[in-house]
Amino acid sequence: MSPADRVRRALRRLVAASAVERILISSAALLLSILLGAVLVLIAGRMTTCTASDAVYYLGVGFCYDPVLVFDRLFLGALGEPFSGGWSPEGQFSVTLRETTLLIFTGLSVALAFRAGIFNIGTQGQMVIGGLATAILVFRAAGAVSGVAGTVLLIPFGIAVGAVFGGLYGSIPGFLKAYADANEVITTIMLNFIATGVTLYLVSGAFKDPESAANQTVPLPEYAQFPTVLFGGRQDFSLVALAVGLLAIGGLYYLLEHTAFGYDIRTSGLQPDAAEYGGVDAKRTIVASLTLSGAFGGVAGAMYVMMVLGTFQSGLPSYGFDGITVSILAGNNPVGVAFAALLFGVLKSGTTVVQFATDVPPQLVGVLRGLIILFVAMPEFFRMVGRRVVDPGSDPVAADGGTTGGSGDE
Amino acid sequence: MSKAVRLERITKRFPGVVANDDVDFEVEQGTVHALLGENGAGKTTLMNVLYGLYEPTSGRVEVGGKTRQFDSPRDAIDAGVGMIHQHFMLVDPMTVTENITLGNEPRKWGGLTVDRAASREAVVDLAEQYGFDVDPDARIEDVSVGEQQRVEILKALYRGADTLILDEPTAVLTPQEIEDLFGVLETLTAQGKTIIFITHKLGEAMSAADEITVLRDGRKVGTVDADDTTREGLAELMVGREVLLDVDHPPADPGDVVASVSDLVVDDDRGVRAVDGVDFEVRAGEILGIAGVDGNGQSELIEAVTGLRSPDAGTVQFLDDDVTDDSRRRRIEAGMAYIPEDRQERGVVMEFDLVANALLGSQHSPAFGSNGRIDWAKTREHAETVIDEYDVRTPGAAATAKSLSGGNQQKFIVGREFERDPELVVASHPTRGVDVGSIEFIHDRLLELREAGVAVVLISSKLEEVRGLSDRLAVMYEGEFMDVVEPAATTESELGLLMAGQRPSAAEEADAEPADRDDPVDAARGGERA
Repeated sequence: MSPADRVRRALRRLVAASAVERILISSAALLLSILLGAVLVLIAGRMTTCTASDAVYYLGVGFCYDPVLVFDRLFLGALGEPFSGGWSPEGQFSVTLRETTLLIFTGLSVALAFRAGIFNIGTQGQMVIGGLATAILVFRAAGAVSGVAGTVLLIPFGIAVGAVFGGLYGSIPGFLKAYADANEVITTIMLNFIATGVTLYLVSGAFKDPESAANQTVPLPEYAQFPTVLFGGRQDFSLVALAVGLLAIGGLYYLLEHTAFGYDIRTSGLQPDAAEYGGVDAKRTIVASLTLSGAFGGVAGAMYVMMVLGTFQSGLPSYGFDGITVSILAGNNPVGVAFAALLFGVLKSGTTVVQFATDVPPQLVGVLRGLIILFVAMPEFFRMVGRRVVDPGSDPVAADGGTTGGSGDE
Repeated sequence: MSKAVRLERITKRFPGVVANDDVDFEVEQGTVHALLGENGAGKTTLMNVLYGLYEPTSGRVEVGGKTRQFDSPRDAIDAGVGMIHQHFMLVDPMTVTENITLGNEPRKWGGLTVDRAASREAVVDLAEQYGFDVDPDARIEDVSVGEQQRVEILKALYRGADTLILDEPTAVLTPQEIEDLFGVLETLTAQGKTIIFITHKLGEAMSAADEITVLRDGRKVGTVDADDTTREGLAELMVGREVLLDVDHPPADPGDVVASVSDLVVDDDRGVRAVDGVDFEVRAGEILGIAGVDGNGQSELIEAVTGLRSPDAGTVQFLDDDVTDDSRRRRIEAGMAYIPEDRQERGVVMEFDLVANALLGSQHSPAFGSNGRIDWAKTREHAETVIDEYDVRTPGAAATAKSLSGGNQQKFIVGREFERDPELVVASHPTRGVDVGSIEFIHDRLLELREAGVAVVLISSKLEEVRGLSDRLAVMYEGEFMDVVEPAATTESELGLLMAGQRPSAAEEADAEPADRDDPVDAARGGERA
């Protein structure tokens, strides 16, 4: 058997894996990545110097970094010390949930496009545009209302603004793909740069907060930001935002599974020729799904402005790009996005804890994080690739380039 | 004379499909041998086995009198077998000489560098030896398709090929270039080379080959001498005659015109004219058959009618409306059902279960939901009805389409489309790959639909099927209707003649050279490069 056949056979098995198998594979991958990471920590620990009292000893050999401590801090730290009695809703767990909330939206954005067979790399740009629009328009609107009524009105307004502007920005690559046959990967990447550049220009000029040295908009009043409920007063996290995120997950799930539009999207993503046969307007579906995808990205921007910063500042963190990994991790399933975003949130927030608690350099923590994501995401990634390579269940016959379907009964 | 190539009992299986079934194939040294068959008959698979691209599931390959085991084309080339693929494997920005010698360049300075002068000389000599007209210094991207093909042939000869396999060599050539190619083949065989030439065109097989082997559905149907055979005889071999179970076929009682096309002109994916000025109408309660060897424009015609391909000229009328520019969805909603020929690409979504597949085409229909919501319970019921009534063998409606065999997929599609309550059914190869019992069932259902006043357009390359079911039968050849005949009053050999491109009145004229299409080459090249 040639190596190509072997690869193909492995891919076929991955593609055919059941849900339970997939969970097992992911768990095994997680464990494996931690083991490999531990080895790396040990090796790095041998290659640096520290006082004997700071070192840990395994089998009589001293190491400067302790992998057990590192992974303990990474996970338990991110969860806010659930086992040591010091758990508080104000703690690190709120940071984890804050990251999770933002990643839910960017993850959904990428997942939706993926389901339609479109690779939206532009969630970052859509988020930036949505965030800036929210910061500006909510600030303008905040003058008209105030107090609790202000919060009740401004929060939904801000989310809507983010969705509309993110959606409009997402529709650009949609139109380009549908009507000019422009590859969405390239256009969305380019539009990311444009979004970053244009917003920097705007917040350093026309919309700059004169009181601040940073390139940012005038901060929103307190009542125009997400209220804290139970959790995270000091950590810029709002349970309301998370609830909106969970609603969005449910909404996207419903849209994909229970509406005709969702059926069109899924069919286009799986088998464009069959979609065309079934009367799906390919161009309309491309534009609509990229617009909706952009809207989710825009809401992520709105959340960041109204929950985390209270203003729009140039140089937003790369939640949009992380959304791609989250989506792949989730198998592009909206429900899976919740769990993938949580894992990602844990890793992000745990990283800071590790940096406080140990001498391990931040670069090494980044490597550990990357390993975990790589290992957990790869099986799903190869499933997606595999689905394209190993034609599902059909015949790989080179039949004169003919268009006949297989003839399995003969 | 000795055999250049002998394939013995070759079987090649792919998951779920037998592409070659126990095929014996022999080629005399120094002759041109055509391998004829429809798309999907297994011609290319068989040649890929000979060329070392596929390992046969069972069977023996013998080249030059010795049994061979080819693990890769490299082995085949070493044994003197060369293959010229349908899509040329040339490096566009490099010159003719560089392409021919690529990988086997004459070396100088102890192998450190390519001896360009020697390369060029070798190519010039080779071209002279076989009387080829090529410019050794031209870049591939600047030369015609015909010349590119000659470069491919020279490349194989340069590597020492004695047996050349040409896969559909005429597909991209103009009529003039085709003639040149046939001249080249003669020169080659005169010098002792052996040519195997894959084609689905009868005329070319007849005029270029010494012997013709016909494959159908992966099996060898026969080998005939090109001089002892007729076009219609070949057409029959290719298409085959399946025993049609008794079709009770009372005369039709046609009603109003349901659909009509006039002056329809359609291009295929490569921009080559596939349908050239076709007119027809089909009435309620009538079956219009369209017969012809695959690849004569039937697919493009049907796609233009059903809304999957926009015609370049002409109109399509459906129920008194001009639907030429209507979307596929509007045509479905107006009552057009369509059984597509490529069921695994179009007819079903392989990853979906049968419930979701039952909805394909009806996802916006009020019968299965409202306000954009899908009523999955109703859809499930519908799927189960189709499964029951059309005898789809499956563990249940929750099974994915890809888990079904091809024939059961087909029955499911037929059921879904027939249950649409259509005004017009366009059925393209509705019984392909279906077991005999189900063939009969599908035929009966088609006749029932006709009785119920539905207009039916039936496309099939099975002659018996279209003859047995149709009330009127159009024969399509090279994008045109040769004739529309009364099936009962037409003999099979008359149909064979029509399918081979000969009008009954002008049989002698047409015998000469059937390829008189508009020059497809520029358009084809443009299409492929894009």
